Amino acid sequence: MTSSAIEIRNLGVVYKDRGAPFRALDKVSFTVKPGEFVSVIGASGCGKSTLLSVLEGLLAPTEGEVLIGGKPISGPGRDRSVVFQQYSLFPWMSARANVAFALEQAKKSLKRRECLELADKMLARVGLEGFGRRFPKELSGGQQQRVAIARALVVDAPILLMDEPFGAIDAKNRCLLQELLLELWEGEPDCERKTVVFITHDLEEAILLSDRILMLRPNPGHVHAEFQVPFERPRHRLELLRNPEYQQFVSDLSDIFFELDYQEVPANG
Amino acid sequence: MDSKRKRIRTAIDVCCVVLLVLIAWELASSDVFGVLPEKMFPPPAQVFFQMVHDAAKIGVGIASSLSIVFQGFVLGGLCALAVGLLLGFNARTSACTEKVVSFLAAIPPVVYIPYGIALLPTFRSCSVMVIFLATFWPVLTGTLAGVKSLDKRAIDSARVMNTGTASMLLRVVLPGALPLIFNGFNIGLTLSFILLTSAEMIGGNTGMGFYVKYYSDFGDYTRILVGIIVIGVVITIISTLFAALQKRLTRWS
Repeated sequence: MTSSAIEIRNLGVVYKDRGAPFRALDKVSFTVKPGEFVSVIGASGCGKSTLLSVLEGLLAPTEGEVLIGGKPISGPGRDRSVVFQQYSLFPWMSARANVAFALEQAKKSLKRRECLELADKMLARVGLEGFGRRFPKELSGGQQQRVAIARALVVDAPILLMDEPFGAIDAKNRCLLQELLLELWEGEPDCERKTVVFITHDLEEAILLSDRILMLRPNPGHVHAEFQVPFERPRHRLELLRNPEYQQFVSDLSDIFFELDYQEVPANG
Repeated sequence: MDSKRKRIRTAIDVCCVVLLVLIAWELASSDVFGVLPEKMFPPPAQVFFQMVHDAAKIGVGIASSLSIVFQGFVLGGLCALAVGLLLGFNARTSACTEKVVSFLAAIPPVVYIPYGIALLPTFRSCSVMVIFLATFWPVLTGTLAGVKSLDKRAIDSARVMNTGTASMLLRVVLPGALPLIFNGFNIGLTLSFILLTSAEMIGGNTGMGFYVKYYSDFGDYTRILVGIIVIGVVITIISTLFAALQKRLTRWS
């Protein structure tokens, strides 16, 4: 195994199909260690979703290199699974069929019946036992994202890419989903933990979940700052909230995170 | 009021309306009132007994009509689905096909009949061709629109799962496009029955359209009415079954 799961060197992305060329990312470089949970945080338009599209293999970099397990990315791969923001489930498939479909694509040797059985087990792990036969429209937004998580985890890819997965969920369910993700991720033994790249615009979410936070800044998108999150795992929201060091950390990062926005207002206006 | 009771109420209402129409018809065509000329508007009982008497002949006619519609409709629909999925998924071929199809679909299929008669051996095969075209263009238009309407997020999530082309087309694109594909099938079905009945009345020697045309030459209005009612009932049954299939297959939307 190589020392880094993901290595990004001087990544630049320029969109040329929207009239004037638009530079979304410029000279982005960072690495993610195997089993590390990294959050990429930034306001809308800072290129964080573009960055994830490159990692997903849906978008080719204009400049620079992106290596996964030491090899350059050439499209989507079985080594990565993705949780999108919302409405990415297939609405015509039941919850269990959605999860089973991912498994069928990843492991062709499995029979459909076996895939459905494994899907049911995975749905139970994300708290959706008995919901397998429902269509996405019959599930709440939070439940749909639970299915999306089950669908991403069931294939057991070493890298998990999450694109603002809880961004559109109401506050209470967002907390429950964050705790579920922590529980599933921390529940694995250290050496088997998935490498996670988690896109978000929510600072406290990033701190609660990640080992490391990359702060992106727009025009063009680049990594502005990087922070190691110093809190012990397993983490619990309420314990953290009572911890004065946590409060200080949130406050320090907020200063930097929101200061960026304050500076941008006069620039844009 | 729950939906089941509403359905029962509607069924009772419909039965009442039918009964009222029958009573009005009976009275209007009876000697007592004599509002309608009896030769052209025989009373319902007479039409009913004629229907029973001709049941075997009608059965053969229905079978003939339906087998033609079924062949043309299924063949046209499947071909349109295949073409639509293959050409619709790629943005470039989709845009081109859409333009070409909008021209070809505008041509009423009946104008191809001269070619049908010249190239095809029988009335039957010629009718199948017309119904094939009547189904093919609407379904192709619907398929292209359906594929275009697909949510990019669903396609992307299939892409990142390394979904192969066959699975992508048959398990992602096809079901996602199905609601609009069914629009095309519904247009095709309506057109097919109109065209077939007309064709049977003009050039056929079988089927329900022919039954009506044949007896109209004798001025046998009892049998003309039998034909009209039977055609209405048959098409209603087929449409209802098809609507049920559509509801079943798109119940997720």
